[in-house]
Amino acid sequence: MEEDEEDALYAYGVVEGEDVEFETEGVDGAERAYSVGHRSLSAVVTDIDTLDPERTDENAHAHNDVLQQLLEYDGGQTVVPMQFGMAFKNERTLRNLLRETRPAFTRALRQVEGTVELGLKVLAEEGVEVDEAAVREAVAERFGSLADSSTDDDLFSDRLLVNRSFLVDREDRDAFDQAVGEFEAEHDDLLVQYTGPWPPYNFVDIEIGAKQ
Amino acid sequence: MIIVDDLLVRPFFSILNSIHALALEELYDAEAIRDDIKENQLLYDLGERSEDEYERRKTELEAELRVAEMAREQLSGKQIQVRE
Repeated sequence: MEEDEEDALYAYGVVEGEDVEFETEGVDGAERAYSVGHRSLSAVVTDIDTLDPERTDENAHAHNDVLQQLLEYDGGQTVVPMQFGMAFKNERTLRNLLRETRPAFTRALRQVEGTVELGLKVLAEEGVEVDEAAVREAVAERFGSLADSSTDDDLFSDRLLVNRSFLVDREDRDAFDQAVGEFEAEHDDLLVQYTGPWPPYNFVDIEIGAKQ
Repeated sequence: MIIVDDLLVRPFFSILNSIHALALEELYDAEAIRDDIKENQLLYDLGERSEDEYERRKTELEAELRVAEMAREQLSGKQIQVRE
């Protein structure tokens, strides 16, 4: 460990308020997540001994898992997630960042307050021909009104007909779950992957830059 | 004569360079390999691909990705040399 990295922190996301603390399985094997605050905002972090964590499958999952735990912490938190790999030299550099980016994070927290992100991927069963436009329309019609917003995500496979993320109010979660169940039941020829809740990765966009 | 030769030869090298660049682009398309890795994961998660097949494909694709990233790093910013 470099001497100047012994107090390093790995940040997962930003919430309002302080006093977040929970046991976890974080990036590089960290076991405790806690908050580092500046005024009304807190970054949720774990200790780490490098400023350049390796993007292994295990670490990528750990990053997501901590964020999902945070999302459900203390009855449910609104979280602005950070991308993988945000490590800071010490608490002071992190607090400086929070001070500089407070307006942007505050705005983002307002935009996604009380919401979670849900993901929906739809594929045709192997070898089955389907009307792709009709499937897309059916998805938009059924789920559009249950979400505050949605994004068309990357169709990274030729098999994918739909890859959408939905920003959904926590109170509409049950209705959304039910709609997914109904959609699956009505479309035997389709495969549906329903994921989440996630922090709203696709609905906040804050550039932090290299000021760690 | 020298001028005529030069005019004839230059476009030829330029085309060769482009073809070479396109071939490298396709061979070392890290983005396409990342997409294949995501597709492999998705088909496994949906139960369409067996665990053995998923693991085999994953190992294969990750090796391809390492090669592609290494090749890209070495080629970036360098002129492609075409031997006469």
